[in-house]
Amino acid sequence: MKQGAPRSVYQHSSFYSLIGLPGLLILIVLFIIPLAILLFNAFVDDAGTVTFQRITSIVTNPYIIRILAFTLFQAFLSTFVSVLVALPGAYLTSNFEFKGKRLIKSLCMVPFVLPSILVVLGFVIFYGNSGMVNRMLIQLFDLNEPPLHILYSFKAIIMAHAFYNIPIAMGLISSYWERLPVSANQAASTLGARGFTTFRTITLPRLTPAIISASTLVFLFCYSSFAIILVLGGGPQFTTMEVEIYREARIMLDTNAAAALSVVSIVIALCFVAVYSYMQNIMSNQEEFTSPLSTRKRMMGLRKPTFAAVFLIIVYSMLLAIFVLGPMIAIVVRSFQAPLTRTSQMEFSLKWYRQLFGFSQSFLFTSAITAILYSTAIAFVTALVSLITSTITSAILCSLKQRGRLLTELLAMMPMAVSSVIIGLGYHIISSRLYGSTSWKMIALVMAHVVIASPLVLRTILPTYRSILPTYMQASMTLGATVSKTFRKIEIPLLRSAMVTGASFAFAISMGELNATLVLSDSHVITIPIVMYRLIGSYNYNAACALGSVLILFYIIIFFIAESIKRKKYA
Amino acid sequence: MPESALVCSNLEVAYPEFTLSLDFSISEGELVSIIGPSGCGKSTTLQLITGLLKCEKGTIRLYGRDITNVPIWDRQIAMVFQDYALFPHLNVEQNIAYSLKIKHIGRKERLQTTRSLMELVGLEGYAKRNIAQLSGGEKQRVALARALASKPKLLLLDEPLSALDAKLRKHLRQEIRNIHDTTGITTLYVTHDQEEALTLSDRVLVMNNGRMEQLDTPEHVYAKPSTVFAAKFMGEGTLLPYDVIPTILVSTDKGPDKVVFRSGGENRQIFFRPERVIVHDNPELAFPEFLPHLRFNSCKVVSCEYQGGRYLLACNWNGYTIQAFARMKPLGDAVVLGVRMSDLTEYIDSVINKH
Repeated sequence: MKQGAPRSVYQHSSFYSLIGLPGLLILIVLFIIPLAILLFNAFVDDAGTVTFQRITSIVTNPYIIRILAFTLFQAFLSTFVSVLVALPGAYLTSNFEFKGKRLIKSLCMVPFVLPSILVVLGFVIFYGNSGMVNRMLIQLFDLNEPPLHILYSFKAIIMAHAFYNIPIAMGLISSYWERLPVSANQAASTLGARGFTTFRTITLPRLTPAIISASTLVFLFCYSSFAIILVLGGGPQFTTMEVEIYREARIMLDTNAAAALSVVSIVIALCFVAVYSYMQNIMSNQEEFTSPLSTRKRMMGLRKPTFAAVFLIIVYSMLLAIFVLGPMIAIVVRSFQAPLTRTSQMEFSLKWYRQLFGFSQSFLFTSAITAILYSTAIAFVTALVSLITSTITSAILCSLKQRGRLLTELLAMMPMAVSSVIIGLGYHIISSRLYGSTSWKMIALVMAHVVIASPLVLRTILPTYRSILPTYMQASMTLGATVSKTFRKIEIPLLRSAMVTGASFAFAISMGELNATLVLSDSHVITIPIVMYRLIGSYNYNAACALGSVLILFYIIIFFIAESIKRKKYA
Repeated sequence: MPESALVCSNLEVAYPEFTLSLDFSISEGELVSIIGPSGCGKSTTLQLITGLLKCEKGTIRLYGRDITNVPIWDRQIAMVFQDYALFPHLNVEQNIAYSLKIKHIGRKERLQTTRSLMELVGLEGYAKRNIAQLSGGEKQRVALARALASKPKLLLLDEPLSALDAKLRKHLRQEIRNIHDTTGITTLYVTHDQEEALTLSDRVLVMNNGRMEQLDTPEHVYAKPSTVFAAKFMGEGTLLPYDVIPTILVSTDKGPDKVVFRSGGENRQIFFRPERVIVHDNPELAFPEFLPHLRFNSCKVVSCEYQGGRYLLACNWNGYTIQAFARMKPLGDAVVLGVRMSDLTEYIDSVINKH
């Protein structure tokens, strides 16, 4: 069925508005509150009059302009590197059929939920001066000094961004590429175009919108990157807008300046969001993916890889696996290692876990158990709230027609322009105005996490909701079910898989959320990422690794629970 | 006989489910339809000829040139795809001009060719239209014009009308025939619609299970099908054991057909089409046939389906079902049926027996 075609009368039944409206309102309000506060702080001075002085002093400040220039530059370079490396991978996965392709594709989803604090830690352990790569190189070539000096430099930032965004860019481009009907290419060759000419005149022009849109998305991610810059950048010369917002708010304690900075940052990000949105429109207007025939032909047209392609696939996926999985594995390995004496080699040890869970006396580590408890509780509530609001919001968004689509796009776009640091800042200002207790802080934190997680949950559920054929619902109603019964008996069961995925995403995002949490929290609210951040800050990498491994374990458990629920047949 | 344009000799491709093996040739300027049930290998045949698939055995010759191992782009064979495969990033004009641009043909000539082709297919004024804005029928025309623009020696059409509604289909198939007659291009047309194949083509190639059942004129394919499969596939009809003949044969000495009855066997069958059956529903009148014929007495009408202008009867005769067309609804449910001997085709082991 064509999207946007009328879904028939019952879809406009008040039932869908009735259940959907609260969800929509909750999402909007949770999102609007921090924004409103920020706008107020940025434009209204202490006397209560409107002023542009705070904004103008920022855009004319050479220090801020330098930071902005650097932010844009590093984002541009990171995007360029990521997309360039991703393109061959996208080519291989979308044009050849081979074993392990599904695995590669699901690996591409990992960065969406992988917390930045884990990435940062993984980088330190893997690429650091005494990291795994350097130690291996020293042993291999018998060197006296670590050959790689990556950390705390511009290189580290670009590499970490590439780590995040290569899989994302590859996943986005390849999923578009593999849906391009192959018959157009065949038609081109019957009309006399050779292999490369076909690529140049047919494939590349059709792919360009996808490449640009993926690049814009990656650019936005890098633009609003926070933890990576904060930890790996390692100095004031590598500061970006987000880090500067955090510094103003929590170190200089000037929330007004931070709010004004946020407004500037949002406006700039919105420009790129506009480009992204424009490209998405081109993509959906240009190609017709509705024909199942052409998709099937595409699948049948997938080539068995040639010898050269097999070689490339192996090399590429091995490099990708080392690049993406290496740092994660390094965290786990390191958490089980400790030197027996100060100078001896590393050996297997549970020392860090014993510390972490309070078996040995250390003030930092008693907070680890608290952090795990806090994180789990916050993540659970966040997942539950995000799931419910997103599901019912999908119901209303699908039942609205044109207006609904515009609203949907706005809902999807706004969070891309408003980073999690800025959301955190908004809620920080609110809770500090309220002279809040710890429980208030917790509520504010959950609200911030819901705002951050919901767009992804919505993005997971909405397409599945849209793909449910209206005839199912019509059939159900002709068989005597009311609208609400149809919703419960037909739509919800069909959505179950997407809902489980969405909820696990929300849980994972909340568990690993550092940016908003760092801006929001005081010493009473501690989560796993916060403790990890403090451990890294005090150069206690081993303990950070142990806690990081606990976090990874949580993720693996969530993944398996989600998969087992999804695998159950409909009851 | 004009020169052979396309010669496919001993083509063979093996699939796990079936083996495609074909041997046929097409004359210059001919329009040949390939017809068969889905999965019989029609589209595979086209893909072999274009070079989208490699053939394992056999050769393909186009105007004397062996193109078996020539790459797709050098074959000079254009194809209209089932889903049209129009380039979504180019407009109507750019789509049609694609092959000309590839060959670096000058702008002026390109424009001229494109214009005249758009006129030929009835798309004047559509030059700058976006592909997404076109209706199914318009896309079809663009696809045809684009294929013709490459000045192919052979034009292949892969079920080009299957995505369109019935009325448009009838209109467009006539147009395709007209365009074929104007350009005189040798054409191979794949379809699964019997009527389309019969009305459109010079000759029809009936395929089943990767093999050719018959390649003949529409009249012959319909009236004298070479195999029982072709007979059943190309239309309605009744298949009876050969051995019923002696019991119901009505000989007259007037007829030109001398009936020679050969002793039958279980592998012998006769077949006739429903419009050849005489329906006699009034026992008061004489049976209206004077040539040698089979007469099926005391048939019982089991069903009578009105088809607009005629009725399709299914009658039970000694446990066999005989199909017949009648202009009028029979008076009662007891009828006598007859079929002229010359309207029978005879099959031995499902293959036609030409005496």
